[in-house]
Amino acid sequence: MGEFKGTPATGDLTVALSNDELHILINLVEQLLELLGERNFAHHYQSDDPFAQLMAAQLMSMEPLSAPEDPVLNRLLPNAYADPDAADEFRKFTEPRLRQVKQQHLLYLREQLVFPVDHELPKADIAISDAQQWLLALNDLRLALAVRLEVNSDTFEKFELMPDSEPKKSLLAVYFWLGGIQEKLLDHL
Amino acid sequence: MSTEIEELSELDLSKFFDLPWVCIVWDDPVNLQSYVTFVFIKLFGFSKEKANQLMMQVHTEGKAVVTAGSREAMENDVQRLHEHGLWATLQREDHG
Repeated sequence: MGEFKGTPATGDLTVALSNDELHILINLVEQLLELLGERNFAHHYQSDDPFAQLMAAQLMSMEPLSAPEDPVLNRLLPNAYADPDAADEFRKFTEPRLRQVKQQHLLYLREQLVFPVDHELPKADIAISDAQQWLLALNDLRLALAVRLEVNSDTFEKFELMPDSEPKKSLLAVYFWLGGIQEKLLDHL
Repeated sequence: MSTEIEELSELDLSKFFDLPWVCIVWDDPVNLQSYVTFVFIKLFGFSKEKANQLMMQVHTEGKAVVTAGSREAMENDVQRLHEHGLWATLQREDHG
């Protein structure tokens, strides 16, 4: 599973995912959406109502300017400058948009993934309408997992020698599986 | 050090000489090599060869300067790289 067919150019790019894979992905997407912290405001961002957009923007502007404490958020929303003052100043103007962009990709991916689940299809051949958003959302999921699992350059070697009783092993398997999916998607672009 | 010299040393001369800024991409153990190359081509319009060469430089040397220009342009590049999950910063061009 996790095989892609077609190309975005011909408009027939699809991915085959099992029900288990769909549920794992949806779960990861929802956790990351929650962590990005704007889950409650998601409908504002999606809204065409200028007032709702303004309110959302104002809520965002009250966010602290310093780097997020959570290491996952710190990786997804990194400092743009080595100098902390310059980084905080830049963050004030850019972090809301960066969060919003990442959230939109994840919401889009979630929408594509829940369709076969909601319709109780045994397995999914998802027609990928926007491969770029898939790619970026998958990448953010991998970054988030990698921070939580403390992935470094010799993680794969360690993973292969890990006993099945090791609690991290199943999540690492998901992490490497996501990497495989991302690689295959890149091959189809 | 006299007060005058101290004041002088605090002057930001680089602004006066208008030194360019650079956008730097840092190595991380997560982003796939093929993905990094893909992002360089997509965002900066590099040839596949140049994008691949820069990706390898990031991988082997830990970082690479990917673009140079005005501060505003570099801030924009860093923001777009962050949107794509690459670890990027901007700074004045280092002549040292």
